Amino acid sequence: MTATQARPGARQRRPPVGETVRGRRAPVPWVLLGTSTAVAAVMLAPLVFLLIEAHGAGLATIAGLIWRPLTATLLWNTIRLLVVVTAACAVIGTLAAWCVERTDLPGRRAWAVLVVVPFAIPDFVVSFGWASLTTWAQGFRGAVVVMTLAAYPLVYLPVAASLRSADPGQEETARSLGLGRVATFLRVTVAQARGAILGGCVLVALVLLAEYGAFEILGYQTFTTEIFSEFQLSFNVPTACALSLVLIALSVMVLGGDAAARGRGRAVRTGALAQRVPGRQRLGRATIPVLAGFTALVGLALGVPVGASVYWVFEGGAHAIAGVSVADAGWHTALYGAAAAATATLLALPVALLAVRHGSRTSRLLERSTYLVLAMPGLVIALALGYFAERYAHGLGYQTSPLLVAAYIILFFPLALVGVRASVIRAPVALEEAAASLGQRRPALLRRVTLPLVAPGLAAAFCLVFLAAVTELTATLVLIPTGVQTLATQFWAYQQNLSYGQAAPFALVIIAIAAVPSYALGRYFDRLPAGAKRPL
Amino acid sequence: MSAPPASTPPAPPADLAVAGLHKAFGRHPVLAGLDLTVAAGTLTAVLGPSGSGKTTLLRILAGFDRPDRGSVTIGGVTVDDGRCHLPADRRHIGYVSQEGSLFPHLTVEANVGFGLPRGQRRGGRVGDLLDAVALTGLARRYPHQLSGGQQQRVALARALAVAPRVVLLDEPFASLDANLRAAVRADVRAILRDAATTAILVTHDQDEALSTADYVAVIRGGVIAQCATPQDLYHHPADADLALFVGDANLLDGVAGRGLVDTPLGTLAVRGDLGEPRQAVTVLIRPEQLDVHPGTDGQGAHGRVISTSFHGHDTVISISCGSESMPSPTLVRVHGNPQLMHGSAVTLTVREPVCAWPSGGWPAR
Repeated sequence: MTATQARPGARQRRPPVGETVRGRRAPVPWVLLGTSTAVAAVMLAPLVFLLIEAHGAGLATIAGLIWRPLTATLLWNTIRLLVVVTAACAVIGTLAAWCVERTDLPGRRAWAVLVVVPFAIPDFVVSFGWASLTTWAQGFRGAVVVMTLAAYPLVYLPVAASLRSADPGQEETARSLGLGRVATFLRVTVAQARGAILGGCVLVALVLLAEYGAFEILGYQTFTTEIFSEFQLSFNVPTACALSLVLIALSVMVLGGDAAARGRGRAVRTGALAQRVPGRQRLGRATIPVLAGFTALVGLALGVPVGASVYWVFEGGAHAIAGVSVADAGWHTALYGAAAAATATLLALPVALLAVRHGSRTSRLLERSTYLVLAMPGLVIALALGYFAERYAHGLGYQTSPLLVAAYIILFFPLALVGVRASVIRAPVALEEAAASLGQRRPALLRRVTLPLVAPGLAAAFCLVFLAAVTELTATLVLIPTGVQTLATQFWAYQQNLSYGQAAPFALVIIAIAAVPSYALGRYFDRLPAGAKRPL
Repeated sequence: MSAPPASTPPAPPADLAVAGLHKAFGRHPVLAGLDLTVAAGTLTAVLGPSGSGKTTLLRILAGFDRPDRGSVTIGGVTVDDGRCHLPADRRHIGYVSQEGSLFPHLTVEANVGFGLPRGQRRGGRVGDLLDAVALTGLARRYPHQLSGGQQQRVALARALAVAPRVVLLDEPFASLDANLRAAVRADVRAILRDAATTAILVTHDQDEALSTADYVAVIRGGVIAQCATPQDLYHHPADADLALFVGDANLLDGVAGRGLVDTPLGTLAVRGDLGEPRQAVTVLIRPEQLDVHPGTDGQGAHGRVISTSFHGHDTVISISCGSESMPSPTLVRVHGNPQLMHGSAVTLTVREPVCAWPSGGWPAR
């Protein structure tokens, strides 16, 4: 029975919670619990390494390094950017999502794709596009413009999804109670999408805290750029470590604030669950301004980076485009990305199985602890792994492919877990039991029921991690094996030398690799609710 | 509904016996030494309120869960006791869950043929089964394109496809609309009768249990309180609690005589032997055992109409007899619409014999 077809009467007749939760679940298999614990330990290793470093440097030293005017400057830079960009993304993302999902905007389907594509373009490519064309986009101003244009899809995507599944009847009820269009939007629509907006804002904030490349190009100093130069240029480990701790504290605060705000109330859909097609608001005379707004948004967010890259490819024609080096860098990028994606998906499987099928306090704790990775920017993970390899493994592994892949795995594990979790939910135990009662043994049952159900979700998880790894710059710069280049690092090297003509082809290849699969991914996650999603 | 498919492999329906079944979740006991016997080829309803352990019992029978103690025997073969546990895939038991649990990635046809050997999955047998559940045209649909009732029938066809020796149905009608439920219930009953399969239906709906099953087993406190035919259970419940559980009941205090019982509604003939005379008893009078006459001239108990509720096929009248010994109103069910005004005086007569139990142990209400 699908969620949309459940009748309200069915709810009242469920046995009490004790019976469903404890009775229907087998005891937790120790293998699963052991593997999950090991996975969680690996994910938290960078944090442990960092704390060991801090402990080694001495508390007094670390405190002294934190209590400096530099920290205050970095805090001010980081926080004002955080506030302005997050607010801008929330407004742009929410309005754009509402226009696409709930109004009669002409060309909705095309806009729905175009406003999301910038999501696939790495932030350092966006900032390269702006910085290479104009000196106007520098410092705080540049950072705000570039990061808003790069990050607003993080709000748009969840809000659009939530508006699609929200009950349009609530808006109609509000109108019938005498609320105007604007009041309805603010008091009902925004309230419905509140969780999604909040979730999107948290992602934006985390991205801002972790971003390095874009700020480096724009000449804007944040914690990440400072940590990078302390570690990579002056090799000042205690300072990098101290600043990393502050950065992690900021990320934890963002995540904690989200959890606290989420706890208060949630959108509830009452009554029959049958999905109705929401009625669309007529834009009327606002159509032209709204269309102009969408054109400007897509032009700035998509047109500028793509246009600049194309421009520099032709303008920089004097340089021979090294097709061989693009192919070589592309090969390594794909190799590392695929290795990380496959491993991360595999490691997420036991954690997701444990959380979905054997819900207990332990399994929830294990699952949540892996989300702590979200609070660790890629740079910090890379530094922790690199420093640890150098210090305690006598340089063994530092700047080798396995360590880089390990950093990717840890960094993008939460992404893999989200995808794998969604796929495991689609294969409930009840279906395996149904297959068993029809005489199917374990191997046949896994092949004929479980695998077909989870495969699309596993593929999606793989793609998510692969895409993220392909567009990763910061950790890659720290851990890239000597003599090897990925697309991102080669782009970076040329860009640093202001060889825009040579950098541009790499940017275009990254965009091409990232855009197509992320469009497919978007379609996959969009269709999830319409398919056979089960009530939880 | 057509006859059972001709190609059904001859699998004689099996009888089923459960003895001393115990199962606890944590410290919360759900089954406490449950015994149940189901004759081959019959449909037995397991009736009980939510949380009474019905589903737990079914899941143990199906082999999804293991009992803490006790044994399960199917067709003379012990499939569960302290030592052995036959896994679900080797029990030949069909299981239809509350949600149907259809495979969402497979068509109706592929769902029904799922348990069959590879060669038979696309053949006459699947078509015959779809005919039997009246879903002939929907073979290529996916589960989410079906209504709730259709999904239930596919789930039943899928379970019957492998010719199980016993079919277990876990509240299969609970998620259906009230008006659809009666139709699907009748269909399922007919299909099961045609297939001549042993079946166990779990339900919390006494109407459903009484109207569908050959035998009804009421589960209470982790054991079967009574297992009887629907008629027996309704007219001769083992105690007053069961009487109330399986339908509307007027429970009166009375004093036993020899073959008779003195009640506020008169001296009535009683079924069975009540043992010692002069003993306090509780008397069960079903609402349809009472007749109501306007006015107070006739013989019988007098009372006043408090309310009437019209149900179309019958009317339930609530009558206050105004006596100390009968504090709660008496319910009377009559055919049609008797045109009795609120407050009008009436006379009640009882169609004997009635059912009574010694009052000891009967909790005060």
